[in-house]
Formats: sequence, structure tokens, C-alpha cells
Amino acid sequence: MDEWKPNPATKPHKKRSWYLAWKYKLMNQRALRKLCQTGAVLFLLVTVIVNIKLILDTRRAAYEEEEESAQDYDDEMLNVEVPRHPVNNKKVLDVEVYSSRSKVYVAVDGTTVLEDEAREQGRGIHVIVLNQATGHVMAKRVFDTYSPHEDEAMVLFLNMVARGRILIFTIKDEGSFHLKDTAKNVLKSLGSQVAPFLSWRDMWTFVGKKGGEVYGEKHAKSPALSTWGDPVLLKTEVHLTSVEDAECHWPDTELNRRRKRFCSKVEGYGSVCSCKDPTPIEFNPDPLKDNKVFNVPVAVIAGNRPNYLYRMLRSLLSAQGVNPQMITVFIDGYYEEPMDVVELFGLSGIQHTPISIKNARVSQHYKASLTATFNLFPDAKFAVVLEEDLDISVDFFSFLSQSIHLLEEDESLYCISAWNDQGYEHTAEDPSLLYRVETMPGLGWVLRKSLYKDELEPKWPTPEKLWDWDMWMRMPEQRKGRECIIPDISRSYHFGIVGLNMNGYFHEAYFKKHKFNTVPNVQLKNVESLRKDAYETEIHRLLGEAEVLDHSKNPCEDSFVPDTEGKVYVMFIRMEQEADFTTWTQLAKCLHIWDLDVRGNHKGLWRLFRKKNHFLVVGVPASPYSSKKPSSVTPIYMEPPAKEEGAVAVPAVPAAEQT
Amino acid sequence: NGAVFSKVRGSQSGEDSTRWHVVRKFLGLISNHNIPVYLIDPLILGLVDKDIERIRSSPSGPSPECKYFCTPRDFTTFALLDKTWKPEVGLFKTAEKMGFQWLKIINKDPRLDGMDDLSGVEIPLHYIFKLASHAIHLVVFYERSGNYLWHGPLRLKQHMDRKFVPFRKLHFGRYPGAYEKPELLLVSIDDLKVQIPKNPSSFLEEMSHSRFLECRYREARAFFQVYPDDASLDAVEFRKKAKSLLHLAALTLNNLGVKFWLSSGTCLGWYRQCNVIPHSKDVDLGVFIRDYKADIIPAFQKAGLPLKHKFGKVEDSLELSFQGEDDVKLDIFFFYEEDDHIWNGGTQAKSGKKFKYLFPKFTLCWTEFVELKVHVPCETLQYVEANYGPDWKVPVKTWDWKSSPSNVQYNGVWPVDEWDDVIQIY
Repeated sequence: MDEWKPNPATKPHKKRSWYLAWKYKLMNQRALRKLCQTGAVLFLLVTVIVNIKLILDTRRAAYEEEEESAQDYDDEMLNVEVPRHPVNNKKVLDVEVYSSRSKVYVAVDGTTVLEDEAREQGRGIHVIVLNQATGHVMAKRVFDTYSPHEDEAMVLFLNMVARGRILIFTIKDEGSFHLKDTAKNVLKSLGSQVAPFLSWRDMWTFVGKKGGEVYGEKHAKSPALSTWGDPVLLKTEVHLTSVEDAECHWPDTELNRRRKRFCSKVEGYGSVCSCKDPTPIEFNPDPLKDNKVFNVPVAVIAGNRPNYLYRMLRSLLSAQGVNPQMITVFIDGYYEEPMDVVELFGLSGIQHTPISIKNARVSQHYKASLTATFNLFPDAKFAVVLEEDLDISVDFFSFLSQSIHLLEEDESLYCISAWNDQGYEHTAEDPSLLYRVETMPGLGWVLRKSLYKDELEPKWPTPEKLWDWDMWMRMPEQRKGRECIIPDISRSYHFGIVGLNMNGYFHEAYFKKHKFNTVPNVQLKNVESLRKDAYETEIHRLLGEAEVLDHSKNPCEDSFVPDTEGKVYVMFIRMEQEADFTTWTQLAKCLHIWDLDVRGNHKGLWRLFRKKNHFLVVGVPASPYSSKKPSSVTPIYMEPPAKEEGAVAVPAVPAAEQT
Repeated sequence: NGAVFSKVRGSQSGEDSTRWHVVRKFLGLISNHNIPVYLIDPLILGLVDKDIERIRSSPSGPSPECKYFCTPRDFTTFALLDKTWKPEVGLFKTAEKMGFQWLKIINKDPRLDGMDDLSGVEIPLHYIFKLASHAIHLVVFYERSGNYLWHGPLRLKQHMDRKFVPFRKLHFGRYPGAYEKPELLLVSIDDLKVQIPKNPSSFLEEMSHSRFLECRYREARAFFQVYPDDASLDAVEFRKKAKSLLHLAALTLNNLGVKFWLSSGTCLGWYRQCNVIPHSKDVDLGVFIRDYKADIIPAFQKAGLPLKHKFGKVEDSLELSFQGEDDVKLDIFFFYEEDDHIWNGGTQAKSGKKFKYLFPKFTLCWTEFVELKVHVPCETLQYVEANYGPDWKVPVKTWDWKSSPSNVQYNGVWPVDEWDDVIQIY
């Protein structure tokens, strides 16, 4: 014990040893050192003088010059090399902004904070927000104002930025085509003189303080429709203010300390950083009585979409029965901003060095996150798995608390999911109703530890296999005939429209109209009937009670289902064998529900709502429930359209979860 | 109450009330912040253990004298379960207001260590709260896979004050440690309400051999870079079976109170790749012959693992093999201690030849393996090298237990008349 020194051999700091070596060399060359010193002092003096002159010139220029000559002044700037300032105690930032057809960049004090010369991306107006006291980059956005509505997003964003921040703008390729007057006026109000006249393929850079002075603006007109304006490079200086001035004066509490940290680093989160009336970051939703999932860990899988993560965590932390201590956010990559969001809410976050690419990367991130979750919570029998682009229903935990015992006791279950693939506004009705389905919806689900540890983890697809994790989990080798429990009305809402397998069109078509429960404390109905055998009894009872619809009518027509409420109807479609989904797919298409692959089935039966009536679809003869079909009824057959015409511009087999 | 008491004990000579006062303040601080700590100070628990019957029978009775917290010491040690609290700035602010100076020792989270490329935030492992001449050492325990508690080593970072307290005298932190989850008892000693392990003597016993070794995850990753892991279905299946066999064996032996460790190929798998070697085909455990119990065989049979063969006898070269599920075998080797080495024996069934495997002396440490808290030799490298030679890092698929090990010695032949006893095959 006495031998013990509680100080391990710590590695010498790399930088330090380099410095020491350098210092040692110089010590041996005293003369050189002297010379250097003198040189440095002289250089500094010159720098100071040039600087003072520059600042005075700039001021004068900014006030006196007209729009046209402002450009001349900037050209002058080009010829004067702005000397480096001492790094410490500096009050001035050098800013360089470049705008051109194929490349934009922004450098602050010689450090490139934006560089985009990738082909066919990054078109539009790039915006960077700097902290006016520290010069740190607080937000980086690009608005493709060549395309519609992006200018509205930009206005929204600019309005959220706090007064006093430094704003830097630069155009790549084209940024004016859909830049409407509202947006132009906002830019004008920031001090831009060029913005109101920005036109087709002009190049433009602008640096200014929100609600304050303009540090520089440069513009190059496009001479003709077919060509771009000449590249422009704006070099200017920004005067920093004191940290005090850049901060809000919220009362000193634990929460506000987190808020302060967050708000001094990032921008674009709206009222969370409002000085006067900041939005809460702690929600204290009502606890749940007899909460069976209070100690179940929650893994939030995230990438680099911090605004999504912010929205997601807000809804999660507002859900009744949430236990923040059990939440871990897993960030795929060393991104700072998502981590800032995690810390704002006082949660714990873990970063993951990306392995592999695209789908395989997501898949590896999932594996690491799930393994880590069960390592961090070794007592847990389950884990709740969420993604950063989900809204969480207020009764999410209540829903799980009422159903989780099924997952523990019924071995024929694979998961509980908060998402009903077929639960759209027009097809879901009953918040207290649950189903058993053979597909795994994901999008907010519960995983049993034994399933993960004993079955999935040991054979999880390796990085070189470019598989979607959710597709893999749905494969028969993994699922082994087990089912998931889902609610009729989803307890999660998929709001993400940017993602790996996601785009605006796809989101609009398949996710936007999804129904989402907003009623708190829903008491689930007849949960025990979801057990394997009980469910069969329940289905037989339902089918026994169901009224057979008129099979001579077109099932796509609204009139196929009578104008009633609260009744149970059944229809029979042709389904030659277990994997024959020809008619189902056509039906799903015309009902405007999920038709990209088969979801929501249980032994050849689908359950949904039409016009507030429970609507059952049975595939004959493949389904064991075919026996319920009256002999007089001929199952409906719907032909798939000819390949060419039916093709829609969506990914072949999209994975909803992986966005 | 405390003030009255301190007067009482202040009248006694040769004792110092500083410690008692500091502990009382500390307990006040943490109860104000609802932080459930428990006492693990070995010196106090030693004293408490002597009076445990009386303390248990009158858990809240007043103390006539200050018996435990007034012995002048530099430290008093408490434990804290990580999941029962959240470190908030408020606690430390209050501590400072009360006059405490505090020090936090953080380090990376070992629960994420085995994971490729995950970086969590560093976690607090130790806190020290100092007031006047006394310090409270608060050890943070973490639950880990394998149903046990772990505390980290105490290592100072470069900028830290090495003279903050006499660190060498601390009872916890020289090594990481592994413990069972203790049952706690709320008692009143020296008029201070404090939680202690329900059974102080078994806690102290546990403490004396609690040293924990982390698996060498980084080296294991490097190993898999050179020799990619076998991801075939067979390998996955074998690992699954080996894991469940190991869990069953651990349960059986722990219930009997027989101490065991990972040996041979299973130990090599842990040390080299932090996993079961998929082509090893069996699970190997070591047990000191002094821990041998006659009910080992019936206990395994009861657990569904029939005896496959028994070689040797308790006095010499004992080795038991049990049949697990689908051809996965559990081998238990019994180890015999000599003055300068330890050995175990082997027997060739058809010839009656005896072999001896020599190991340098070793002690046992805890580790975590396939979600199990198990023992391994602390001096693992010597152990593995003795068994597998200097090239243990290179996987070998063909292995002859009679000639391949580098520590094997020929050890004669069993007398023929003993064969029925020392070579039993089922």
C-alpha cells in the first residue's frame, strides 16, 4: 500500500513537448532570439498603426460611401493584407466571405468555418451566425432560395436569431429565383443595400450585426441570363463586444446556467434563448400512477439534426411518466450541436465514431447504442428505442406501462411499437385499441433485452453488409414468426423530412397525414386479449359480429362502406398464398395508406377504420379466417397497374425508420 | 441532540471530536440533497461489527459515549450508488458554504469501454470533501452487467492538488473493485443516523479481495484487426451455448460457495479477445483443491449437467468434465498449491498416463465476462504464457492438450489397480 502512488504515468502533453523542443533550440541561439524579438516588436508596432488607420478608414467608408463605391472600397481591402492580431484579448475579428457559382467559403480569423465546393449541392444563400462576444460560430444554415418556400424558412430562422449577433451571408450558384419580397425586406432591414435588387445568378456577400452596424457587403451582377456574376470576395473586420453585453440576465439557477451555456453557443432555437421570456427547458409532466416503465432505459438515436433533436426531446420530456435519468441520447458522429441540445435538457449523451457508410452506418450506430444501453442499465429487461425525428405522445409511457407485461410474459411477441403503419387520419379511430401485427413498425418501440442479447446482437449485420437494421430485423430468420403490439392511433409522429431515405414528397405522401394521439391518460381496452391465444378468440368474435360488405361495389369508393359509425365490417380479398399481396397492395394504394411493402397484417387479416367503422380485410384463401367468408361472396381481386404507368417516384423499398 | 452529545464526549480525554463533527456535517449535507450514502469505512465497520448485535437490536438508541467516529483518522469513507442520485451543482455550492473543500475524480466510463468507438462523458468515480483536518472519501459505485457493483480506481490528473489529502492512506481507489449489491441497514451509532452494510463482516471480507481487472478491450480490438472474428452461424451458436453454460456453472458453484476462475482456453479468450473463442469447443474453469466439495458433482447433475468423466482423485490430479448442451463440455480443473508454483493434472484415458501443468503462483481478481462477474488470475499474462507460451496471441485451431501446452510435464502413469477410480468415463 505504501508503494502506491495515485498518480499514473501521465503522458506529457504533446503540444507542450513540441514547445519545449522548440524553446530548447532557440535557447542555443541567443543572437537569433534577440533578432526575433526585435523583429516581433517592430512588426507589432506596424500592425497597430496599420490597424488603427484601417479601422478609421472603414468607419469613414461605411458612412460616406454610396452603394456603388462600396465595392471599390472592398477592392482596396483586397490589396491590403490585414495583419494578424494577437490571439488573446482581441477585440476585432477578420472575416472573409467568398461567393461564386461553384464555391463558397467563410473564414473567421483565418479559420475556415464554411467551405462548400461540392457539385450539385449547397445551392442558395448560406447563413452563418457568430457570437458577437466570442466570435464562435453559433449556427450554419443554407437556404436553397432558388426553390420555393426556402426563403420563408430563412425569414423564420433570421427572426429567431438574437439581436446583436453577427450575420454572414453568401450565395452559391443561385439564390434569388424564389427569394420573395418579404425575405428581401428582412435582409434590407439587416442593413443590406443590395438585397432588394438581387437577381438571377448574382453573386453576393454580406456581413452585419443583427439590429446594428453593417461590416461589409459585396455584389457582382450577372451580365446575362446564361452566365453567373463574377466571384466576389469580401474581407472585413468585426468588432467584438463584451461577454456581458452578449448574454441575457436570467436569474442564476441550475436550469439557467444550462440555458446560458447553450445560448452562448448556438442559435436558431427561438424563444429558448429569449432574454425576456424564455421558454421552459424543464417540463415536470404529471407522474404516472403505478408506472411500470419508470425504470426502463430510453435510447434516443440521433444524427446531426439538432433542431429535430430539440423538438423530439421537448415532446419526450413532456410525456407523462417520463424519467429523464433513464434517457441516453446516442449521437452518430462527433457533432457538437446535438450534444449542446442534450446538455441543455440536462440529459446524458454519448457520441459514436461513425463506422461504415449510409445504411450500414445507421445500422452500426443502432447496434452500438443498444449494446451501450444495456451496459449502462444492466438491470433493465427492456429498452425503449426512439429516433430524433419523432414527436412523442403525451401518453406514450402510459401506453407502454399498460402493455409492457405482455412483452415480458408472451414469448410470441417481438416488440411493442408506438407506431401503426396504417394509422392515418382517415383510418385510425380508437386510442384505446391495440393490435397484433406480423410486421415491425419501429418508430418508437420496446426491445426485450433477452431478444437483443441472445439473438440479435451476436449476429447483427457487420459493417460491410449495407443493410438497413430494420429490414434485417423484419427478416423471417430474426422475427421467427413473432409479432408486435401496436396501437390503433400511433403514440409517435414522424416529422422528419430530411434524412437518408426521406424527402419532402415521400414525407407528404406517407407520413404527414398520420394520426397521432394527443389525449392524456388513455385507458387501454382489454389488454389481456392481446395475448397469443386470447387474440384469436377476439378476432373470431369480431369476425362473427362483422357485417359482410357488398362485394359487387368498388372497394376504393367511399360508398363501399355505409355511412354508419361504430359498426364492424369485413371484406374479403383474393390472396392465393401467404405471400400473395397483389390485391392488398392495390387496395392500400387506393385507400391512401402504406402500400410500399406489406405492413400491419396478422394471419392474412388487416384491421383499420373507415368512416369511424372498424374495417376488416381478410385474404382468401390464405388466411385462416377465410372460413368466415360466406360461400356466396367472391373475394375481390384488384389487378396491379401496368408497370410503367404505376411507377411513382419513391424509393423502391424505403425504410421508414431510417431517416 | 448532537450538540448535547458532543459536550458529553468532549469531556472525555484523548479523543478528538473534529471527525465526529465533520461526519455529522457531511451527513446533514447529503440528507438535505436526498443523496443516499452508506458507510464503508473499513476501520469503523470493523468496530461496528464487534457490537453488531447490540446495534441491530437498538438501532436508534442513544450512545453513552463516542465510540466509532471519534477515533482520530484522516478519512471516513462512504459509498454512493450512481443510479440513486444526480450530481448537481447545488450540492457542491452548499458544501462550499458549509466550509467544505471538495475534489472530484472523474474518468472514462468502463461500461462503454468495450464498445467500439463510443465516447460518453466522463463519469465521477470519487469525491473528497475536506473540512478542517478531516476528509470524507465518497466512493461512487456503478451497477454493471453481471449484477454487481463496481468502483473505479483513484487516479489524479496532472493539474490536481496532490497534497489535497494524503491519498496513499485511502482505503479505496488503489485498484478498481467489484462488489455484490449490499443489503443496507439504517442504524444510529454515536448518535449519527447512518446506513451500513447489513453484514459488516462479510462486506469487509469481500473488500479484502475485491480487486477488479477490466478486460483489455483495446488489445482485443487490435487482435480482431489482425484476425477477424468468426461471424459464422456456428460460431454465434457456440458462443451462445458457451455463455449459457458458463452462467449455469457460475450459478451452481456460487451456490455451493466454491470459488472458481476462468482457466485455459476460456481465460485466453477473455484475455486476448474479451470473448469466447468460437473454435475452443468447451468451457474451462479452475478451482483450488482446498475448495473442493463432494457435492459439486450432484449439484451439477441437478443443474442438468451430467458428469462426463472424472480423472484423478482429490489427493492428486483431479479433473471433472460435465456434459453441457449439444457437445459443449464444461471442464473443471483442480489446482494444487506448492511452495513456489501451482499445478493441475491431466490424465490420458486409454493409457493411464498422467500429465502435470505448471503455473507460477497467482492470486484472484474479479472481472466481467459475457455479462458475468467472475474470477481470473490477477497475473493473467504469466498464467496465459505459462499455458500457451509466448505466441499466445496467435490463434491455433489444432491443439493437443498432451503436447501443445508449454507448461506440460510428463507425470508418470496411474497404477493399473487404481484405474477404476481415477479414470471414470460416462
